[in-house]
Amino acid sequence: MIQFKALLLKEYRETFRDKRALMVALGFAFFAPIMIMGMAKIMIEKLVDEPPVYVKFTGAEFAPKLMLHLADNNLLNFVDVPEDEKTTWEKRNIAIEIPADYAKNMAEGKPIKLHLQADFTDKAVKPPVRRINSAIREFSLSIGYKRLLLRGVDVRLLNPVKLVEQDTAEPNATFILISMMLGIYLMLAAFMSGLSVAIDSSAGERERNVLEMLLCQPVSTLKIVLAKLIGASTIAFIGVVLVLVLTSLSVGFVDLTKIGATFSLDMSTAIFLMLLLLPICFLASACQLFVAFQTKSFKEAQSTVGMLIGIPAFIPFVVSMMDDRPEWLDWLPISGQSLIIESVFKGVDVNWLAVFATSGVTIAITAALVLALAKKLKSEKVVMALS
Amino acid sequence: MKTMWKIIWKKVFTLGLLSISVMSWANDHKLTLENCHLGEIRSQVKCGKLEVPENYQKPNGDKIAVNFAVLPAIDDSEYKAPLMFLAGGPGQAAVELATVLNRVFSEVRKTRDIILVDQRGTGKSSALSCEFEAVDSVYSTLSDALDPQEVKDCVSQFKGDVTQYNSENAIRDFDAIRAALGHEKLNIYGGSYGTRAGLVFMRMFPDSLETVILDSVGPIEVPIGLFGQSGARSFNLLLENCKKSAPCHKAFPNLAQEFQAVKARLTKEPVSIDILHPRLGTPTKLVIDNIKFTGNLRFQLYGMEGRSMVPLVIHQAFLGNYQPLTGLMARTEGEQLVYTGLLFNIICNEDIPRLSVADKAADANNNFDGKDSHLAWELVCPFFPEYRPSEDFYQSVTADIPTLILSGNLDPVTPPSNGEFSAKTLPNSHHIIVENASHTVAMSTCASDIVNEFLTSKDPKALDESCLKDIPQESFMTSVNGIQ
Repeated sequence: MIQFKALLLKEYRETFRDKRALMVALGFAFFAPIMIMGMAKIMIEKLVDEPPVYVKFTGAEFAPKLMLHLADNNLLNFVDVPEDEKTTWEKRNIAIEIPADYAKNMAEGKPIKLHLQADFTDKAVKPPVRRINSAIREFSLSIGYKRLLLRGVDVRLLNPVKLVEQDTAEPNATFILISMMLGIYLMLAAFMSGLSVAIDSSAGERERNVLEMLLCQPVSTLKIVLAKLIGASTIAFIGVVLVLVLTSLSVGFVDLTKIGATFSLDMSTAIFLMLLLLPICFLASACQLFVAFQTKSFKEAQSTVGMLIGIPAFIPFVVSMMDDRPEWLDWLPISGQSLIIESVFKGVDVNWLAVFATSGVTIAITAALVLALAKKLKSEKVVMALS
Repeated sequence: MKTMWKIIWKKVFTLGLLSISVMSWANDHKLTLENCHLGEIRSQVKCGKLEVPENYQKPNGDKIAVNFAVLPAIDDSEYKAPLMFLAGGPGQAAVELATVLNRVFSEVRKTRDIILVDQRGTGKSSALSCEFEAVDSVYSTLSDALDPQEVKDCVSQFKGDVTQYNSENAIRDFDAIRAALGHEKLNIYGGSYGTRAGLVFMRMFPDSLETVILDSVGPIEVPIGLFGQSGARSFNLLLENCKKSAPCHKAFPNLAQEFQAVKARLTKEPVSIDILHPRLGTPTKLVIDNIKFTGNLRFQLYGMEGRSMVPLVIHQAFLGNYQPLTGLMARTEGEQLVYTGLLFNIICNEDIPRLSVADKAADANNNFDGKDSHLAWELVCPFFPEYRPSEDFYQSVTADIPTLILSGNLDPVTPPSNGEFSAKTLPNSHHIIVENASHTVAMSTCASDIVNEFLTSKDPKALDESCLKDIPQESFMTSVNGIQ
């Protein structure tokens, strides 16, 4: 036990000695909340905000009521464009022509055509045009309704069928975008944060001849591997905790209620997520150590491991995109945890069998990797990178 | 029958309660609360029932289940006292208004639960409902064609002790729901009759209330039921506003005279014409007398959209075209806006007995609809079982609770002078009169934002009222084809 403690202490010393390298390793965890907030902000703006649109009207004087209605929807006349936005709207060049006989045709009940001209290949033109379209349709409909009403028609006849959408999600389900991204980032944090530590303590130590010296000591290779595993996965776990804490702190800066959503992470949920991801941290570090020891040089380890971590980190993303999920996904490491995280955020009951199953499988794989590695370290081939 | 209920114009395009998920209503539990879908609200909300004694003097006697809904706060990370909505009428079922209220109070709901309770006698709380009119005959029947036997039959159908369906017991139910949901304090918003309920709440359970919003007040001091003067005031303001607006005055230069001419014509002899049923499209009869004519116009005075059509409707009627009037009648045809049984039960017992002959005569002395608004009470009230509230009920309310009072200047039933009564007796209150709004101003104007601000600041005198100035002057339709 004393031996093991000494080994672990050595690993931690090595890890925490270079503060800058450590900060870079954990940089991902700091970056995640910023990404999530940024995405959420853009999404909310797209969904809710209706920035002013400036349209070049000709014949605006013929349709004062229509102009008022458009102004109510923040669709304004180009003559009123503020100086700093002038070039933008000059370039977008959305023009609407109102015919001179507008008032006459309106009074006589004849159909009126307004012409909207714009370059429809310009992507920036599309949202304003869509808004103009719906505002004019709404205006037209409201006049149509009144025309019929004043002719003694029951205007409810105009809506024979209405589809009412009923969302069966739990009322306390969180905003899907944030929870999905957070799920992916948590998994990535587990894989990314401990990465450099794992490579350094394996391939790195081998090149610095520290490994050889370690193996000369009268300690079992299992203890050495376990110490390295714990060292690397500690950093991975810190990354996970950081992502959780920083996200729940920073989420307060975005007004999710604008789109009828909320996000809150209470203590018990956070602790559950940490416990759920703990085995993943070990698995990630074990994988990284295992692969790094197989390589011939530090450089090769960096590129190979860097590439390999992409694969497991990609799984939660794929899982979240899948519409029909086969049941065995519940059991596998990573995909199992991703699905559980998803149900936590949806507010539905967690499938405890799946929690234990996926954790069990994860731990078993980790154990297998550790044992295999301990065995391999007894061979010269691995230690000298001869294989 | 046109009383203080507010028209929710949007209701024309919506149908109240659509479905509620299956509720496990077990008798051994007093409170049930389940996820459900309500109206056209997309997300799930909570639906509940609470068992309360029918008669609070006999807690072990008969029970009734009071139906309610909670629109949960979108962001519940910080607890804030919920807002309970007290519906109008009396006789509106709050839960049935969920779709509209979810929109109107969307800002409030971001951080607070909104609680909607079907007042006992409405909705799914042992409704007292009478179908006085056959559904498809609104066009051919006249308002005074009500058969006393029909009323008697209806009243005899009511189950339970109807005299327990009074305002004070309703408030006891509301407070019981507050307690059952585990809230120490509530904010309440009362609209129309809901303000009367709110005032009773303030007197009976002042400690349960954090803030109060009274929108379009029916104060204790003013008995509900006489709408002659207030209706005429609202109508005359409409005439004035039409005169002030150039297009309206140009289109209808003699509006006041035309109105009186149509009324005189219809008083002399009701008009009976063949029309196509507005909804069914089949031939039917339209019969209109002066009471039906002014009654339908009065109904339009409740909201700005209805008001915008009134000059045109009068002018066309003057020309002998009753199609526009028919279209207005069709807007709410066949829809149950209030549970009439509860409406009459409360007004006939709590307000009408306080009116003297002189009161009625003074109210009838107006140039709009005379004493027509008294007709329903005179026809129906004699058949309702009698109860009388306690003397306390009629005392002015003086509770020291932050109170925001709202009135619409154009309101045909609860004029700003009503709000003044409550503003005078409530020590911590502020009365806002919205110039260009009619009944229940928070439902249709930015006053809902002021309500939201008030819930947080709790200071009725220091609110940002600037947005009310942007509410446009009322404008009117001048042609049946719409305007430029």
